[in-house]
Amino acid sequence: MSKQIAKFNINGRPYEVLIEPQTILVDLLRDQLDLMGTRLNCGVGECGACTVLIDGKLNLACSRLAITATGKDILTIEGLAKGTTLHPIQKAFAEYGAIQCGFCTPGMILSAKALLDSNPNPTKKEVQEALAGNLCRCTGYLKIVDAVLAAADAMGKGGLA
Amino acid sequence: MSYLRNFEYFEPESLEEAVKLKLKYDPEEAKVLAGGVDLVPRMRRRQILPKCVISLHRISGLDYIESNGKSGLRIGALTSIRSIELSSAIQRDYKVLYEAVHQIASIQVKTMSTAVGNLCVASPASDVALSLFVLGAKLRLIGRTSERVIPIEDFYVGLNQTSLRPDEIAAEIILPSSTAQLSCAFLRLTRTATDCPKVNVAVTMKVVDNRCKNVNIALGCVAPTPIRAQKAEDKLRGQIPGEKLIEAAADAAAEATKSITDIRSTAEYRKEMICVLTRRAIEKSLNMKGESYRRGDMQ
Repeated sequence: MSKQIAKFNINGRPYEVLIEPQTILVDLLRDQLDLMGTRLNCGVGECGACTVLIDGKLNLACSRLAITATGKDILTIEGLAKGTTLHPIQKAFAEYGAIQCGFCTPGMILSAKALLDSNPNPTKKEVQEALAGNLCRCTGYLKIVDAVLAAADAMGKGGLA
Repeated sequence: MSYLRNFEYFEPESLEEAVKLKLKYDPEEAKVLAGGVDLVPRMRRRQILPKCVISLHRISGLDYIESNGKSGLRIGALTSIRSIELSSAIQRDYKVLYEAVHQIASIQVKTMSTAVGNLCVASPASDVALSLFVLGAKLRLIGRTSERVIPIEDFYVGLNQTSLRPDEIAAEIILPSSTAQLSCAFLRLTRTATDCPKVNVAVTMKVVDNRCKNVNIALGCVAPTPIRAQKAEDKLRGQIPGEKLIEAAADAAAEATKSITDIRSTAEYRKEMICVLTRRAIEKSLNMKGESYRRGDMQ
């Protein structure tokens, strides 16, 4: 095993980490960097719990070798809030009860963010399609979709009051 | 924590270099990494244990969708399926490919996965492959000393097996000049929208005064590779199809299948559904029932 130093920019902060080519991104985030918000569930790219944004694009951390993300900007759920101020999507999820066990929530919120970044005023159907890669086994999606629509509304008005 | 078995890892900076690296290993032992959505989970599950992984991501100039007017359109080895879905050239000129990639998988998977990588996995269920079959796409394969361009149908030789030689890497997909004038349909049957299909069907045809010309029908998940339903195509070619002829063509498509029973479906059901989906796809291509056959109506 040949370890090497890899640089990443995670949640706006530079990291230099010793990794092996075999290190999977989700394991780097959780086990080496203690960023436990990125969840490992199915491990085969079906559930979306490990969703992160790499250079602004949706990725599955369970299906990516960390070394191939060297030098990139990675956003995990930990990078969304500013101090103790939640991101409007996080706030909407809490207000709308779009969280039950919470396991899928980080992935859901990052998928929602990717949607709202490119489409600030999505329709309900567009929200459903954007979240199709994130499975939730608790809430049944209705509140999640409502929360994303509410977040879009709030962000359009300059934040969730 | 999920440990991958040790492998040697390379990041070549050119396709030539990648080909040279690949040749140093047994064909089964060297794996080429593009998007990784197939390879990485399979390495996790110990289904593939390569001695060597060659990542293409440092090679610049492989992520493109380039339209060259009359000579067609080329899709690079690192072009994601999501880029294809969002490309206005694909949406306009290669509608059956757009319909396929728009229906499948999640945004996450489409953003990571490449179309060329999808073909190299050589799954008989590949929605991308089916749409390329009916578009008459070709593949450019780069070897150590030469390169060749082959029809996509010749690329598939068996379940998860391609005609790629040990010293070759698939470099790009070549589509014929605009197919915007073709009628088409892409239908698939799945458990949930993002799943791998139980069966899928792609159709393109040129319709002049209600008469079918240049009919192409491809079927997925019903043989070791995607297949063309040639007898069904023959029945329609040159004809003005009515209900009975369409039914006969759909039956011929079902007869062309060599389905198996597996975790997603049974052989019998697959054969039945090929008949139904082929009929619907032909009807949709002929604009007989148009929009009534969206995927939601079939679940």
